[in-house]
Amino acid sequence: MFPLGLFWRKCSATFLSFYFHLECILQCFFSLAVFGRAIHAIARISDEFWFDPLEKGLALRSVNSSRSAYACVFFSSMFFQHYCCTAVSQPCQKEKQLSLPCKLIIKSVLPVFRCVNVLERNVEKCSISSSPSEHHITFQLLCRHGVVKTYNLTFQECDPLQAVFAKHMCPNILKVHSRLLADVMIHFPTSQEEITLSVTPMKVCFKSYTEEDTDFSRTMLTEIQLNPEEFDYFQVGVDSEVTFCLKELRGLLAFSEATSVPVSIHFDRCGRPIAFSIEDLLLEASFILATLCEAEKEAASPEPNSYLYKCCIFQFHSLFFGAVSYKEAIGDTFQSLVTASDTEEELGALQSSPVL
Amino acid sequence: MRFRAKIVDLACLNHFSRIINTIAKLAKTCILRLTVCKLYFILSDKVANGGASMWCELSQGNFFDEFQMEGVAAEHNEIYLEFVPENLWRALKTAQNAKAVKIKLTNKHCPCLRVAVELPSLSSSSRIVTHDIPVGVIPRRMWNDFREPSVPDFDVSIYLPVLKTMKSVVERMKNLSNFIVIEANLSGEMNLKIETDLVSVTTHFKDLGNPPWASEDGCQSSAQGRDLESMAEACIDIKKLLQLLAGQQVNPTKALCNIVRKRIVHFILLHEEVSLQYFIPAVA
Repeated sequence: MFPLGLFWRKCSATFLSFYFHLECILQCFFSLAVFGRAIHAIARISDEFWFDPLEKGLALRSVNSSRSAYACVFFSSMFFQHYCCTAVSQPCQKEKQLSLPCKLIIKSVLPVFRCVNVLERNVEKCSISSSPSEHHITFQLLCRHGVVKTYNLTFQECDPLQAVFAKHMCPNILKVHSRLLADVMIHFPTSQEEITLSVTPMKVCFKSYTEEDTDFSRTMLTEIQLNPEEFDYFQVGVDSEVTFCLKELRGLLAFSEATSVPVSIHFDRCGRPIAFSIEDLLLEASFILATLCEAEKEAASPEPNSYLYKCCIFQFHSLFFGAVSYKEAIGDTFQSLVTASDTEEELGALQSSPVL
Repeated sequence: MRFRAKIVDLACLNHFSRIINTIAKLAKTCILRLTVCKLYFILSDKVANGGASMWCELSQGNFFDEFQMEGVAAEHNEIYLEFVPENLWRALKTAQNAKAVKIKLTNKHCPCLRVAVELPSLSSSSRIVTHDIPVGVIPRRMWNDFREPSVPDFDVSIYLPVLKTMKSVVERMKNLSNFIVIEANLSGEMNLKIETDLVSVTTHFKDLGNPPWASEDGCQSSAQGRDLESMAEACIDIKKLLQLLAGQQVNPTKALCNIVRKRIVHFILLHEEVSLQYFIPAVA
């Protein structure tokens, strides 16, 4: 509907002559449920997704057809009981390529993880493997009573797209437990497509988005006001009002509730993307959604002014919250998710600083 | 015109939302009539159109801790609003552990019932969720369309069996036919029948009892004059009946139905201070 307004990069790699071997085993029941929910969350974005095994772990990526939503879930190798991703270059190929991203149809993978709660009870082990000669990925579920379910899924070799989005440039960062976000979202009807998040340093408000031609006599409007105290971390540099799709966010929330990791929200003014991300030792996920750009609003605030405004607010903000350092804590543990460009660092120090 | 009400008690809130849920399942849109001491939910689909009618009545004192209303004029101290009960149900279903729910008539973009739910939060102040439910204000000249329907001059009045049992029977019959015949007599027997080219199914209920109706105009006496064993039957839309049975959130303390042969089936469900009447016209 509205494009993400991001740069996209294609990871280039030559696939023609290269072997690849992937083997990962999910054992812990918890992990399997988390992995299954990640697939379900990805399914909200698009019909297909990239299965992108890397040396450090496995990434699942997806972009919707209008490129207004991007999702990436990265599981570190430690997430799996056993993870091995090796690439064997052919003799003629000098450069050793590590990744073989492959595109899978979400419909073919969903049945494997259809009912996550049942999986938790019945499946003892899940192994995902791919071997060079066969052109498919194998999901094998080892269930109780010796039942083994094997799914051989063919894939298409294809470069994954990655959204280039510098989260640390966003003036507004909220960090909140996924439970709270889910509690907020249940108030909106399932038919609600977009919601507006508006923030000021004093309050946060989620409300139903209404188009200009909305018939108010037919539409129920819902609004939820939250106190900044309810957030684990609260930084508002610019008063803003962003409108985004609820569908994808609902997917992320179902997933993050399974991991019970807080969700960070990075955003700017309207028209710029909003990122919802979760991060812990074993996995990282980020969902980047386009926000509605209202042309009139943009025109009303010419660039120089808004820049000034930003500076002022930044100053105010640093007073407001005490020490705010822009020290770049370089996330060295994992490759960054949203982008492979060097603009992406985690504001680790910033995010962990408590409010008050 | 002013209206403002507040529910604090959780049990009252849950009871109220169950009633709204029942109504939402019976009517896409309905009329909410407010008077100083009562609320009415009214659905008056014209019988000529094959629709069903509903009349649900509850005393505000049993639910609301505060209830203020001011009608259009002192001599007509009532308010009639048209709204979608599903919207109100949506607002209330996520308010199960609310500290307080306030309902207020407002007029911002359009006339609205504003439902403000105060929920407990992690911080010291509560979390406030507001829903603006659009309503249409019914002008006074149209109030007459929504008068309480009179109890029809029925052939048979009978207590219903446990609604859950009845529901599971009707649910299965629904798969076989679009219409169901309800028949009952004055000696406590009721049958639910479906008939198609391939199959006929009848479920018999016995010893249900016939409610005593105080006779004003000889209604009871005329019934007495009738053969106690003879069945009065009406064929109705099975979906309409199932809607009523499936929508019941609490088993009513009293449930009965009145049958006017080949014309209408009139259901009355009583639960404490709430009464629900539902009229399903017979099909030819």
